[in-house]
Amino acid sequence: MMRRSHMRAVGVVAGLCLLAAFSCGKKSGSRSTSVHLWQFWDIAVVAPIIAEFEKQNPGLHVEVEQLTWATGLEKIQAALASGTQPDVCELGSTWLPRFSYEGVLEDLTAVYEAERDSFLMWDSALYKDRVYGLPWVQGSRVLFINRELFKKAGLDPDRPPQTWDELLQASQKIGALGNGVYGFGQNIGEKYVLYKKFMAFAWGNGGDVFDERGNVVVNSPAMLEALEFYLKLAPFSLQEKQEVLDQYFKTGKLGMQISGAWNVKNYALEAPNLDYSCALVPKPAADRGEHVSFAGAEMLVVFKGSQQKEAAVKLARFLQAYPQAKAVSLAAGSVFPAAREAMNDPAFTRDPRIKVFVEQSLTSRTPPAHPGWNEMEEAIDHAVEEAMYGRRAPRWCLDDAAKEITTIAARFNQK
Amino acid sequence: MSRRRRVSPVVWLLLPWALVYGAFFVFPFLFSFVLGFLHYNPLNVANTTFVGAGNVTRLFGDADFHSALRNTLFFVIGTVPVTTTLALGLAWLLHAPLPMKDAFKAAMFLPSILSVVVIALLFKLFYAPGGALNETLRALGLQTHGWLTDPATALPAIMAMDIWAAVGYYALVLYAAFTSIPESLYEAATLEGAGHWATFRHVTLPMLKPALGFVLVINTIRSFQVFVEVLVMTQGGPLGSTNTLVMMLYDTAFRRLDYGYSSVIAYAVFILSGVFSVFALRRMRSQTPVQQRGMPA
Repeated sequence: MMRRSHMRAVGVVAGLCLLAAFSCGKKSGSRSTSVHLWQFWDIAVVAPIIAEFEKQNPGLHVEVEQLTWATGLEKIQAALASGTQPDVCELGSTWLPRFSYEGVLEDLTAVYEAERDSFLMWDSALYKDRVYGLPWVQGSRVLFINRELFKKAGLDPDRPPQTWDELLQASQKIGALGNGVYGFGQNIGEKYVLYKKFMAFAWGNGGDVFDERGNVVVNSPAMLEALEFYLKLAPFSLQEKQEVLDQYFKTGKLGMQISGAWNVKNYALEAPNLDYSCALVPKPAADRGEHVSFAGAEMLVVFKGSQQKEAAVKLARFLQAYPQAKAVSLAAGSVFPAAREAMNDPAFTRDPRIKVFVEQSLTSRTPPAHPGWNEMEEAIDHAVEEAMYGRRAPRWCLDDAAKEITTIAARFNQK
Repeated sequence: MSRRRRVSPVVWLLLPWALVYGAFFVFPFLFSFVLGFLHYNPLNVANTTFVGAGNVTRLFGDADFHSALRNTLFFVIGTVPVTTTLALGLAWLLHAPLPMKDAFKAAMFLPSILSVVVIALLFKLFYAPGGALNETLRALGLQTHGWLTDPATALPAIMAMDIWAAVGYYALVLYAAFTSIPESLYEAATLEGAGHWATFRHVTLPMLKPALGFVLVINTIRSFQVFVEVLVMTQGGPLGSTNTLVMMLYDTAFRRLDYGYSSVIAYAVFILSGVFSVFALRRMRSQTPVQQRGMPA
């Protein structure tokens, strides 16, 4: 019980060293036909795919290991520190830039040149004009609308809000229904989520964290306008953590929220009678801006330390190819292939809700491919949250975020 | 020769433990001390650099560390005395003749056998907008509140949970100490005409000091290390209001990949909890009355 928590950090470090001690010289041995793959999906989903790969490539054997979302990243860190990393690994798009920056990934620019037009979501793999990852599966956030509440509020559920104004009006009307019903859901009080929602509005309005030359522009007029609009939604919004928002939407007490495809899967099981539909994230105005949303992508990387690079790249490309990415996506039910082919596959376009996700992904964005992104996103979360709590004027919040992000960026430029 | 033979089974029996203890406690403890002087990033071990006291001086100027320290001290000072006092009260109640005492004991101990993660998840629901707490408030006609999303109430909410989860265990520890107080002391006190309060103040409390010292030290150390609750319930938010030292340590190591700095934070937690524990023990010892020193153990 005692000191379990900080011993965890220390324990991992100890683990690194033990691994290092035991693994010396092990790598170069008799693994010539064995490729190690670390990934996050259920082994049962991946096993048939691997079997097919082995069938097509006699002489190659793949050892698959499933990582958990809770500890996967720590495990990869420990493996890299001790030189026991796998050959191929799945990495989230928010983490990839840091790995690219540290120089532990194999340059996959040649693969990119060959298949750039067939896949979406390359941005997070780009670092200093080179490409270090292959987009595998991805998931955009879209606008969920409760059709029943729309009808009750005198709104047309077949015409979901297209613009910021329409979103605001719909939130207002649904919020006015009372009885514990909220118009819109805003994330607050938790990490890793808020910026995904806010940046959708910011990107749609032409705002961004960096400009093309790498200058920090997080306090630009376009960003400020997006933040001010986001705050306008507040009086009609439930401000809570994602799981509470999902719960409220599920029980018909939330008119609209921006969320991911995992809800479609869950609501089918837990709230089969919920009458809802999905729509693109509204854009600033009918004649201005874009329907942009946040997307998280799962990327396949090959580690530089791999002894079987050729086989590793072959495996990564095989996994990335549409049939395999489709199998993983359909089994997971919460992600979509990064391959453009999915856009025309009835498996992803038949269901009108799912179709919206596929459509949204064409204009979705992943966070800036900066190695310091994990710290920068906290600065954005903090700015938006501070403004939402009314602590300070939105302009000042964004100015502070700009300062903070500039400091973080400088630290990474030094090295 | 023969003596050595007699010792060896002990050594062999201890060896598995000693190996595990050495590998997972002593070694990391020393290794993280070394890490504290390095810039160490697991993704780039080759570029490890010696930074001397750089990580330590950084600590003093780091506003995030200051706020994490403030939050942690608030947590410790806000929970340890309350938990201890409540535990003492409960132990006192258990000591008194009470119907269904065993059921009470079992109920009190129940939170201690639950995983902290489970408790934290349950309380996340308990504090949620439609959760038990807010629904009760609503039923009473009171204002509901976003307990974990308001920076002013998030940390106190976690503290309240921690007190609930910890009090039963400490109450049982103190109850065990209660039962070991010789009945003769109470008889003597009664003969001297001491009332309930006087008996408690001058007989029970002094006799409980060793157990109270244990409870204070263990609880202080545990409270300095508050982490899982925060990770599950708020991840340090909103606006950093629940960012504690170990939460910051975790973020620094595993999200910012700055193992050197996070080792320094770990040592700061270690030193702080050590200082507080020694302080608590000293207080307990210095107040031990003269009469007790002569008592048989």
